[in-house]
Parts: sequence; C-alpha cells; structure tokens
Amino acid sequence: MTPVAAVRASGLVKRFETTVAVDRVDLVVEEGEIRGLLGPNGAGKTTLLRLLFGLVAPDDGDVELFGRPLGASDAINLDGVAGFVEEPTFYPYLSGRVNLELFAELDGGADASRVEEVLDQVGLASRGGDRVSGYSTGMRQRLGIAAALLRSPRLLLLDEPTSGLDPAGARDMGGLVRRLAAEGTAVLLSSHLIGDLEQVCDSFTVLRLGKVVWNGSAVQLRDQAPGSAYRLATSDDARALEIAEQHPHIHATRSQTGEIRLAVQGRVDAYVLDLGRAEIAVRRLELVVSPLESMFFALTSDVELDSAGLAELAEAALAGT
Amino acid sequence: MSATHALRPGESFPGEVSRHYGGVRSVYRAERRKLATQLSTRLLALICVLGPFAFAGVLKIQSGSPADTLFGVWVHSSGFALSLVVLSFCGSWGFPVLAGVLAGDIFASEDRYGTWKMVLTRSSTRRDLFAGKVLAAITFSIGLLVLLAAASLAAGVLLVGTGDLVSLGGTTLSAGHSLALVVAAWLLDILPMLAFTSLAILLSIASRNGIVGVIGPAIVALVMQLLLLVGSGVWMHMLLVGSAFGGWYALFTAHPYYGPLVIACIVSVIWIVACLVGSWLILRRRDFAGAPVARRAGWVVPVRVAVGAAALVAFLAIAGNWGPAGDTAAKLKASIEPSFNNLTLLQQRELGRTVAPGAKLNVLPSCSRRASTPTGPGDWICTLDVFIPQPGAVPFQQTPVTYDVSVQSNGCYKAESPPSFVGQQTMKDADGNQVVNPLFVIYGCFNPL
Repeated sequence: MTPVAAVRASGLVKRFETTVAVDRVDLVVEEGEIRGLLGPNGAGKTTLLRLLFGLVAPDDGDVELFGRPLGASDAINLDGVAGFVEEPTFYPYLSGRVNLELFAELDGGADASRVEEVLDQVGLASRGGDRVSGYSTGMRQRLGIAAALLRSPRLLLLDEPTSGLDPAGARDMGGLVRRLAAEGTAVLLSSHLIGDLEQVCDSFTVLRLGKVVWNGSAVQLRDQAPGSAYRLATSDDARALEIAEQHPHIHATRSQTGEIRLAVQGRVDAYVLDLGRAEIAVRRLELVVSPLESMFFALTSDVELDSAGLAELAEAALAGT
Repeated sequence: MSATHALRPGESFPGEVSRHYGGVRSVYRAERRKLATQLSTRLLALICVLGPFAFAGVLKIQSGSPADTLFGVWVHSSGFALSLVVLSFCGSWGFPVLAGVLAGDIFASEDRYGTWKMVLTRSSTRRDLFAGKVLAAITFSIGLLVLLAAASLAAGVLLVGTGDLVSLGGTTLSAGHSLALVVAAWLLDILPMLAFTSLAILLSIASRNGIVGVIGPAIVALVMQLLLLVGSGVWMHMLLVGSAFGGWYALFTAHPYYGPLVIACIVSVIWIVACLVGSWLILRRRDFAGAPVARRAGWVVPVRVAVGAAALVAFLAIAGNWGPAGDTAAKLKASIEPSFNNLTLLQQRELGRTVAPGAKLNVLPSCSRRASTPTGPGDWICTLDVFIPQPGAVPFQQTPVTYDVSVQSNGCYKAESPPSFVGQQTMKDADGNQVVNPLFVIYGCFNPL
C-alpha cells in the first residue's frame, strides 16, 4: 500500500466567461503538512479552494482527496475534510451554539459536549449562546474554525483564516493549526497576508493570475528568496555604515529619518558579528521585509528585487503600504 | 493516524467509524429545527390554531354570515359548515400563502445568508440537502394543514355545535357523516397544498430570492383564480392546480362524482413532480462560485421573466376555451332542480309541516347565462316554475321563483333569490327559533366533465 496525499490536484482549470481563474494548477498537500497558498488578490486562491471543496466544477483537471476523486457536481462527503471559503457564514437569527449544532447535524449529529469543546477551543464558550447577528468579524471567524473542528478534520482548508482576528487571535489560530498538523492533519491555508502564514506553514504554493509560479518548502523558499530588509539602530551609525560596505551582500542606506536600512541578500549574521567586534552596540535590529515577503513580491509582481528594490520594499512596508 | 491507501467512495478513515454522514435524515432534522425556530413558522402555527376560533367567535356575536362562500349561510347552524368555510377560504388564498411562507425561503435563505458554502462543505451532498429541505417543507405544510383542520373543527364543534350539515344537494347530513366528509375534504387538499409548496421551492431555488419564493405562490394562485373566470372549456381549467383545492366539493353533493376529484389529484401530483424535478435540475447544476460573482444585476432577467409570464398567462387565457364546455344550462338545471326540491322540503319540515318521505315538487327549471356566450362560468339566471296543485285552480297554480346564480368553472354555484320570492335569510321554525331559511341561498355543484 502506498501513502496517498490528502490533496492531489492536477491540471485544474476553471474559467469564468473569458477569465481564467485557475490555470492548469497542480497541487499536493501531504498529511501533517501545513501548506500556505499565497497570492495577491485575484490570483485564484479562493477559486482553487472552491474547486477542492467541490463548490464549483473544474473545466478541466482532476482532484483527489485522500485518493478519492472528487465528484464534479456533488459536494464532498468524505470524513474529516473541513474548512471554509471566504468568510465563514451562519444563520444570524440563531446562536453560535445552535449554528454549530445544526452543522453537526448535517454531519450526522454530534454530542453537545463536542460542540462545547470546540467553542472552548476557539474561545467562544462564554458567547456561544448569543445570536450570531451580534458577533464581530473576528468572532465569526472563530466560529467558522469551530465549525471546521467539529468534523475532526484530517484535511483543513481555510481561506484567509486570520482575517478579522486580533493579533492574539491570529496567534491562537496559528497554534491550533500547528497542533492539528502535529496530529496528522493536512492543512491548506490561503492568504494574501504573508506575515500570517510565514510562521505557521511548512511549505508554500504561490499563485499569480491563476497559475502556480512557485511551489516548495519553507526552507527552499528562504534559500531562494531575493533577500530581506532590516531597520538598524546602533551606538555608532556612521561606522556601522562603513562596516556594511565591507559586506557585498548587504546594501546599507540612511533613511530620511536618519535610521539605517539594510537590504540583505542572504544572512545578516556576519555583519552583526562584525559590529560587535568593532564594539558597536546594536540597539535595534528589526526585520522589515522577510525572505518570504521578498519572495512573494518577486513572484507576484514585475518589480526586480535587487538591493534597491528591497530598500524600496522596506520603505513601503514601514510606511504601511 | 494516517491514511495509507486511497479511500473508496463511502469508506472512512482506517479504524474510524464513518460518523460524518447522516444523509437525508440529518438534513431533514436540521431543517425541521430551523423551520421550528423561525418566527414566521411559529406565527403561522399560532394563526392556524387561533384563526378558526377567532372566526367562530366573531360569527357567534354577529348575525351575518359569509354567504358568498359555499356552506357560508350554514355556519350558525353547523360547526362542520364553519370548518368547510375555512377550508374554502384556504383553498383560495390561505394554502398558497402558507406554502409560500413555509417553503419560499427554505432554499433562498441560504443565498441570503451566504450559507450554501458552509452547508455544502459538510458531509451532506446536494442530493441530501435538497431531499432533506423538501421533506421538511412538506412536513410543515402538512402539519399546518392538519393543525388548521383540527382547530377549525374544534372551533366549529365547540362554538357552533354538531348540528346537521346541509349538503350541496340540499339534503341533510348527520354529524357522523359530516365529520367523515369534512376530514376527507381537508385530507384531499393536502396534494394541491404540496403542489404549491413545490412551486414555492422552485421559485426559491430559481430566483435565489426569498421574496419571490414567499410571494410567488400567492401571485400564481391569484392569476389562476382569474384564469378560472375566463373561457368555458374544462381542459385548461382542470390543469390549473388552483382548481384542485375545490375537488372535495363533489363529495358533498347528493350524488357524489369522482372524475374531477381524481383529475385534481393527478394534476397536483404532476405539479409536485414537475416543480421538484425542475428545482433539483437547477440546484444540481448550480456553481456555488459566490452570488456576487455569478449573478448579474440589471433588468434583463426580470424583464424577460415578466414578458414570459405575461405571454404564458395570455396563452392560458386563450386555452381556457379549449375542450368541451363545463358549465352548461342543462347541467345547471339538472342540479338546481333537485336541490331546490330538497331545500323546500327541509324548509317545510322546519316550519313544522308534515312532509311525506320521498315527496317531490313539480318544478320546471330554465337557466340561461347573462353574458353573450351561452356556456361557461359567471352570472346565470334560473327560473324555477313550481306547479302547486290548488283546489279550484286549473289544473295547477304556477309559481315562478327566480334565482341569480353565480357559477364557478368547477361546476359549483351559489343561487340567491330576492326575499319577495323566498322570504328573508332567516325564519322562525316551528319552535319559534330563528333559523336559516334554506331557500334564501342555494349552494350546489355539478360535474363539469
């Protein structure tokens, strides 16, 4: 018996009139793997998830979930496949708890204790009796995750799972996903916010205009990334800039506010050690553009990410754009 | 835990019980619960229970009666008549509205709340969801109809009593016989009720709009009522499911006939099957790509639908003349004459006069339609020449009684005569009680086939 992937999609194509939303996409998600599905808005991430859920039929290509072909016109009824597309939605006139009970009923019913358990897992135990119409976006997102957890997922498909969550909620969600993956659950997370996925995912698939433009592990991605950018503050910025010139893979500049910006192709470790040897105290070294972010921009935009490009990206990130 | 081989359809993960599949039954339970929690459903149930009691209570404190509805003049003398008046009213408006409110939003609400993608990403298939929702709508439709039937019977019996019911042939029916027929009448309306429930489901799925689904059946019922007034042919009138609500009238005639009843049941089943098959085909092929993406706003579709509906109504109006005429002078004469005879005898008995069993008046009826065409539903006039043997008269005294008759396409009619001919609506019986004058309004039905 050969192991099968949780998701195996090959040659998937989906067109909406003249627009090709998904263009010959191949995707594999193994059990226990957390794969990030990255791409700018309109890249085809949500359509791909809809295809995996069977909500839309592909125009071409095949999808297998745990080795089982997904019917073109019917929804999945495979145990343990769960998640949501876009924002999770509920019956607003019912409480969060009753919504979960109804969803559980569609799966053949669940114990009341199981509903309470998942409400507790997402931090909604105390608000479970409130009508969903009174929930905030973040609470609905949590309830969506609870609805997915009810199915004891072996494959979790989540679209923008941290959307609407506060930083603590996003961190909790990350922890929950990692815990599930450790138990063998395959997870596919879609987002256009790279920072949300960077610390969670083992591997990434990057989409652009419906096509896969990069596919690989997190390690491969960091290795292939064009670089990263930092904000640096030291006890002697002038000398720090001089020392930076001795490192060909580091491009250091002063910003208008007087801070040092480092565009780094590779690692920054050797430079920091040199600063120490020169008795320059590093007061602040803040990652502004991560390797994943630089890779994302390199793959999904037409901008060339050399040193100057990285510096521009850092300025844009610091400006909040 | 890991899946080490490809799962076959229906197979669950190794070592696990397949507990994430409840099929149609699960969806049915969930939908039943959703419907039961909705305010509209609870309100409908309350109206179904309290409505007949309120109606009976109002009638109790006033002398008037809903004489335009079959059995209407008898609501003060028999509780069964009250239940039948409620049933007649529901057949015109109540059931289509009930079906619309119950089923018109059951699918469209998933679009409104955007929950299709949530329910379709559970274990239930589209087929399960469709079947479960349809079954839930059918359950509640039948449940509310039964509730209304029980409440109207209870209100009639408790507030009016179990007096004999005057049939559509002028004969009297005992309490037991009346009860059996009234229950049968309510049960016979289940099929057309389900036809409107299915229509509401079709509108709900096709339009993805709860308002269309809720109001649509009532509008269709109104259009059907209007179409039943047009044309004199029986074929198209029989195919309009709105007419099926009146199939039970045939049971209450002196000589029940079953042809229209059977056709009403067949037509209802055809409507149910057609609407549900159409609904399933639309739902099965639908891409759930998100409403904003898949749907285009604009006037093109509504205008096309409106033009198509207008063309269909025009066609049906023309087709209303197809087939043999259902309402003819001969049929009306053959029906009204024995009814008049029976009601006259009933009147005489109530006045304390002895009537020999099987007594028969010598009546010569003549009926004609007021409009230019001699057949079809609408306003008719019937003159009943009664020949009464009189000592000294040669050979009889001829007494003409004229009735204005309003005939429906299903062969049922209401005949009214001015008080100068038949007396007031009520009269004093032999015991001095104020009772309904049986000849004031004559209700009857004949087989239009």
